[in-house]
Amino acid sequence: MNPKLMIWASVALSALAQVFLKQGLCNLQRSVGANSTAPSLALGVIRQGFVWLWAACFAAATGLWLLGLQKLDLSYAYPLVAAGYVLVSILSALLFRERVDRNRWAAIGVISLGVMLIAGS
Amino acid sequence: MRTQEFEIGSTALLAPPEETLSAQPAAQNVLRAFIGRWWVAFTASSLSVVSGHLLIKAGLNAAAATAPQYVGLARVLHSVLHVEVIAGLLIYFLGSVCWMIALAQREISFLYPLSSVNYVLVVMTSYALFSEAISLRRASGVVVIVLGMVLMNRRAGKASA
Repeated sequence: MNPKLMIWASVALSALAQVFLKQGLCNLQRSVGANSTAPSLALGVIRQGFVWLWAACFAAATGLWLLGLQKLDLSYAYPLVAAGYVLVSILSALLFRERVDRNRWAAIGVISLGVMLIAGS
Repeated sequence: MRTQEFEIGSTALLAPPEETLSAQPAAQNVLRAFIGRWWVAFTASSLSVVSGHLLIKAGLNAAAATAPQYVGLARVLHSVLHVEVIAGLLIYFLGSVCWMIALAQREISFLYPLSSVNYVLVVMTSYALFSEAISLRRASGVVVIVLGMVLMNRRAGKASA
């Protein structure tokens, strides 16, 4: 696998992990009441499939990051993490119907431009 | 104005119960340094995240130099089992904890743009320590990303200030 592709996959999986965690914690909030005990809360977390998905994506993202970074400059790979902000914003707008105002879309555009500059450097 | 806001948030979220504190005076002092001083937690987080990534990269460079014959999972394990990489991952994790401590005291819209300083620091230190070539294009990409992060949180920051 191309190391650049690994870094991109790592960034995308990290963004996906955030979305899974958000969904898992939302489900948890619905399934256990506000004043639940610590053990029942822990059990609730373990029972959430989305929390496991978050952990899996997180682990895969870390592995891919280490593999990709072995071949690439840190000054190239690290700024690409900023693409995560773009992905999370778009995913939360699509999946959670979070409101993304014009200012935020403009910022997403600017960050994307910066990421593209890095990607081509 | 600010002081009230984060003191309520931080004491409720972060202060452990009295009995655990008196049992661990050292931990208490460390905690006291963080609580009420968002910039201590933020600076610690920034330094840990940056040095964590540098350590990981240093370890990966060393791993690549010693055993390039491994592929796939064996390669991941070989590189992860490097002392610098494990230390880097741990320091990075500590940085994330500090980041959450800072987040408990100041709003995201204030801290996120500040955290983009990490990009600048990582690029500068990669140049200094690993002699990575920083083209004009790469440098300007970092500047544009920092601008974008400031812009992303601008409106929310004004609303809550």
